[in-house]
Amino acid sequence: MKNFYIFIAFLFLPWNFSVAKYNEFEDGDDIMEYDDNDFAEFEDVNEDAVTESPQRIITTEDDEEEATVELEGQDENQEDFDDADAQEGDTESEPYDDEEFEGYEEKPDASHSKNKDPITIVNVPAHLQNSWESYYMEILMVTGLLAYIMNYIIGKNKNNRLAHAWFNTHRELLESNFALVGDDGTSKEATSTGKLNQENEHIYNLWCSGRVCCEGMLIQLKFLKRQDLLNVLARMMRPASDQVQIKVTMNDEDMDTYVFAVGTRKALVRLQKEMQDLSEFCSDKPKSGARYGLPDSLAILSEMGEVTEGMMDAKMIHFLTHYADKIESVQFSDQFSGPKLMQEEGQLTKLPETKKTLLFTFNVPGLGNTSPKDMESLLPLMSMVIYSIDKVKKFRLNREGKQKADKNRARVEENFLKLTHVQRQEAAQSRREEKKRAEKERIMNEEDPEKQRRLEEAALRREQKKLEKKQMKMKQIKVKAM
Amino acid sequence: MADPRRTARVARYKPPAAETNPALEDPTPDYMNLLGMVFSMCGLMLKLKWCAWVAVYCSFISFANSRSSEDTKQMMSSFMLSISAVVMSYLQNPQPMSPPW
Repeated sequence: MKNFYIFIAFLFLPWNFSVAKYNEFEDGDDIMEYDDNDFAEFEDVNEDAVTESPQRIITTEDDEEEATVELEGQDENQEDFDDADAQEGDTESEPYDDEEFEGYEEKPDASHSKNKDPITIVNVPAHLQNSWESYYMEILMVTGLLAYIMNYIIGKNKNNRLAHAWFNTHRELLESNFALVGDDGTSKEATSTGKLNQENEHIYNLWCSGRVCCEGMLIQLKFLKRQDLLNVLARMMRPASDQVQIKVTMNDEDMDTYVFAVGTRKALVRLQKEMQDLSEFCSDKPKSGARYGLPDSLAILSEMGEVTEGMMDAKMIHFLTHYADKIESVQFSDQFSGPKLMQEEGQLTKLPETKKTLLFTFNVPGLGNTSPKDMESLLPLMSMVIYSIDKVKKFRLNREGKQKADKNRARVEENFLKLTHVQRQEAAQSRREEKKRAEKERIMNEEDPEKQRRLEEAALRREQKKLEKKQMKMKQIKVKAM
Repeated sequence: MADPRRTARVARYKPPAAETNPALEDPTPDYMNLLGMVFSMCGLMLKLKWCAWVAVYCSFISFANSRSSEDTKQMMSSFMLSISAVVMSYLQNPQPMSPPW
């Protein structure tokens, strides 16, 4: 029996040695311990066996962990050892069956995470991963661009269709009233192009001319910016409608002197602020048109009551009442010069040029969701425009009205002159100085000394004459004052 | 009703001078053009991908809002600049764009 025990002990010896060696790589601290107690192990084989096996389990679990940590690229268990050693440890663990110890991974993980620093897992850089999914932001951007392009094409085509539908509906009426329908101003001869001018993807022009009473008529189809996706999205919050703007330039002899406007209250308030002529001549707030049988939505701005009476005849009232929803503003003005110009103080020396104009702004029904069929509903409005042209030619102010109108215009001009008086003086002064400088330059540039002297003398004489004149004037004023 | 047309009284179309009515002009295409150029320069110099993408969008918007009388060269140059900004940003740094959230 004793012999048997000794035999078993000797069997364990080499095994213990290998484990000890193994443990050397694990814990540097324990190296000395085993060196001294190599043979101490043999004293209690059973105990050692028992203690060894859990240690063995633990060490292999360490290896497991090391193995997994190795994959992640970090080594927390081997601070004292080089990577080479760790790898050696890994190769040694290979003979052990990993599957045996699957369930034990959690415990050491917990203890190790408490004892050591947390393991930081470094992400593989995204561009090294061969997947399209990581580029989802770029895909989103490109999709957005494609959506924008699609919207551009669709919007452009829709505006084009609407414009041509309008023109086809109105062509007959225009051709029966105007000799020239459609002109882009570039061709040598004045021939009807019969086409709209496309200024933009959302603005179309048509110039008609060759009629009694008026010089010409410019029709602008101002559609919504359907080709711009941003605009489309903005319109979802704030609906707007397409507009047709008609500007009729009257001949001087065919329109009397007055300023008159009718339209929605909101539009009139805005125009009164913006337009030069409405702000100067129509100082009152827009009055309700109910007195003349107009719907509440419409208001009137007028220079004098006589004009309103004259303009609001039966047919006009009929037009305005029936198509009130489509009318934004109607403006008849002999002093039309466009919106107020924001100019610097030094520049305004002359009143802006005025033209006798009739302005019409119509809203296309549908509030943005228009179809080509809606253009037909605008045809009666064009008839209204033609009727207004003829009416304005026929309407004349009586003597009182004319006097009032003339007084108003004189008043406005005087105000303007007062405002610009200082500027005009300065301008005159600078002009005089320029003349003097030019004279001096001429004298200096004259090469012949004789001629120079003569010119200088002439200049001196002129100056003396001027001074004498001034003195005479001052004397005269003094005498008059006395 | 008599024919109101008078061939003798035909007046030619004169495009309204834009200089006299600056308020009527729409400044969007000019602003967008400038913005596009600024963003492309930022994208190129600071190597910011999102700047380059915004520049592409700005040049598209500018093109959509432009007037037909405007120079196409200007549009094309701004468009090319923004495309080159995007391409350069990706060549220098092929990583995908990270979202701001």
